[in-house]
Amino acid sequence: MNAEMILPLLAAAVQTGTPILYATLGEIVTERSGILNLGVEGIMMVGALAAYVCALATGSAWLGFAAGAAGGALLAAIHGLVCIGFRGNQVVSGLALTILGTGLANFLGVAYIGQSIPGFQRAALPLLEGIPFLGPVFFRQDALVYLSYLAPLAVWAALARTTWGLNLRAVGEAPEAVEAAGLSVSRLRWSAVLIGGAFMGAGGAYLSLAYTHLWTTGLVAGRGWIAVALVIFAAWHPHRAVVGAYLFGGVMAFQFRLQALGTHLPSSLLLMLPYALTIIVLVAAGLRLRSQAAPAALGVNHEPPD
Amino acid sequence: MASTGDAIVRLEGIDKRFGDVQANQGIDLEIRAGRIKALLGENGAGKSTLMSILAGRIKPDAGRIHIAGAARTYLTPREAIGAGIGMVYQHFTLIEALNVAENVCLGQSAGFWHDPRGDRRQVARLAETVGLEIDPAAPVARLSMGERQRVEILKLLQRQSRVLIFDEPTSVLTPPEIEQLFRALRRMAAQGKAIVFISHKLGEVLEIADEIAILRRGRIIEERPKAAYGARAELARRMVGRDVLLDIERPAVELRQPVLQIDALGGGGLQEVSLRLRQGEILSIVGVAGNGQAPLVQTVCGLQAPGAGSVEILGRSWDRFFAGSRSGLVYIPEDRLGLATCARLSLLDNFLLTTRRRFCRGPWLRRAPAAARLQALMADFAIRPADLGLAARQLSGGNLQKLVLAREFFRRPRLIVAEQPTQGLDIGATEDVWHLLLQAREEAGILLVTGDLNEALALSDRLAVMYRGRIVDNFSVFDTRKVDRIGQMMAGIE
Repeated sequence: MNAEMILPLLAAAVQTGTPILYATLGEIVTERSGILNLGVEGIMMVGALAAYVCALATGSAWLGFAAGAAGGALLAAIHGLVCIGFRGNQVVSGLALTILGTGLANFLGVAYIGQSIPGFQRAALPLLEGIPFLGPVFFRQDALVYLSYLAPLAVWAALARTTWGLNLRAVGEAPEAVEAAGLSVSRLRWSAVLIGGAFMGAGGAYLSLAYTHLWTTGLVAGRGWIAVALVIFAAWHPHRAVVGAYLFGGVMAFQFRLQALGTHLPSSLLLMLPYALTIIVLVAAGLRLRSQAAPAALGVNHEPPD
Repeated sequence: MASTGDAIVRLEGIDKRFGDVQANQGIDLEIRAGRIKALLGENGAGKSTLMSILAGRIKPDAGRIHIAGAARTYLTPREAIGAGIGMVYQHFTLIEALNVAENVCLGQSAGFWHDPRGDRRQVARLAETVGLEIDPAAPVARLSMGERQRVEILKLLQRQSRVLIFDEPTSVLTPPEIEQLFRALRRMAAQGKAIVFISHKLGEVLEIADEIAILRRGRIIEERPKAAYGARAELARRMVGRDVLLDIERPAVELRQPVLQIDALGGGGLQEVSLRLRQGEILSIVGVAGNGQAPLVQTVCGLQAPGAGSVEILGRSWDRFFAGSRSGLVYIPEDRLGLATCARLSLLDNFLLTTRRRFCRGPWLRRAPAAARLQALMADFAIRPADLGLAARQLSGGNLQKLVLAREFFRRPRLIVAEQPTQGLDIGATEDVWHLLLQAREEAGILLVTGDLNEALALSDRLAVMYRGRIVDNFSVFDTRKVDRIGQMMAGIE
């Protein structure tokens, strides 16, 4: 392999990793509050469809992106209602959300199959694109990719340097302590579920607006589940999510290239690669971390005393 | 700030019910600046409930809370903090993953940005002014129980609390840490804070309190300055409402055949342990925890094979005894709700855990006769509430322990191994358990492992002191010369 082959592959890794990065950040915010949301896949589907339909109707890619985030937050609100409002089982609610979101988006999207939209196009950043190696990989992308460079920083700053973030981390560890401190557990968890849902919706929006530029059935194709696994790989830290997302983006992009080049390997085996990697990563993370990094109250509903 | 003796908070006619239990009933209480008030009562007397109402964690059914001239029917946690009321709960409400400063400042800052360095400086300053040494950057997970309690106190001080409530604060502390806590309490009281000290330990209450309020079954029985109470015994009697026989009567029992013979047992941290236990006597193993008591109990109960030496149980060798039916041996573990019972199973199911063989017909379990038998046992052992459908975790510690004893004694044991049988129980339940054990020794030999020397002296016929896996000495409880030296033996000085 030479630079001519490697640079486009790395650029593709960044682009392919971007929707996973958005979704992973959303799940990190949600899980840090102690709510496990396994509905990422469904939320991304709804976000992707909402973004596509809005962009098609209004002609504005940015409005479409906002609609994707809003759609994601809306579907996540169902999870919030079940888990925070009614203290239902978080795992069951999340799985139901995946089934609901996927089914709903596939059903409502039938009418739109095959119509292409302009969406977001590649727009190289002046000056930065001239940097050797980094330029072609990171700065000849579309606007949503550039936005995604800022997202981990924003999530990190929100968690580590704002009062809201401190409260949110506390509520994921010990909700009863947060309650005793006079803060509202439900309000904090609602904020995390909605903001997290918006990030997941944004990840879906990236797929339809900037990646495929059209709607197809099953567009998300398991990326939501990869995001759930990446949260563990990232040990609930936003900056490690970046590494994980691009690693998976790289494997996905690599197997597409390999298929295009034509190999003797069966394509279904290649398609399996990212998911096989998911399992390997989870096993490795489990061996290394023993899931100590998980928020202590993850998946545990908070019963208010009396 | 209010001057010493002024009432900061007044509770009036507080009522609270949990299901059938009247936790608090018509309680009136005044909490005054600069005073340490002890709330004394047995487990379940309603002390913690009352103070949780004041801290805004529980909503009362009736009554009023007067603070600064205003009367309210209840407080939210936020209002309680605003009114200057803070509570250190028995189970600390700290967040292990966060550091000291973050824990102290949680919920305090209204600003958008969180400034970790500024918070650490502020907490360091606060810790210095009140003399509670702590590293503000240390993660709470790495702190000792005493240090964690200091963090809880700093939390309250950071919120400018004027009323500081401590729920059984000494239960997790070592003796030097208790001294330190008491010094801090006196200092805070001298600075005009009102302190409420919840406890069922008489000695501590007499040491630290200015005023003592005694709770019994949800009511305040009486409230007086400490000077009005004489000796511990008087305080104890008022607390439980009857005379407590801390010196228990021990009927003489004829000694019969040996039930346990251990010769030169080794392995698992034990060295050359030799013991004899005969039917009709109680042999106490005393010593600081972790000096070989656990491997000894595990070996006798068949959980661990002897590494060296021989163990003979009820006349049979260890191998043959545990290969057979094991009948005649019962084990009463320290962990009542984890090892002895299943927390979520009903009392009847818990009863059947070890007695099911008696109620089997082929593959079928006959629950009706078992239920009838358990009902009768619960009446005999005065276990309340006598509802077989309750889950084990719904019983108080004392009643659960009596249930375990009832179940195990029903199997007609001849060798009983009891580990810390009264740990965490109040005086009334402790007394009941002691009586039951003394009765049981008529039919059995009892190996009692206890960390409470008073218990060992009150119950046993002989004592064996353990230190570093060895039996230091083994003597009769009437050998006063040796009994006086138990402390030195436990510390390995002799």
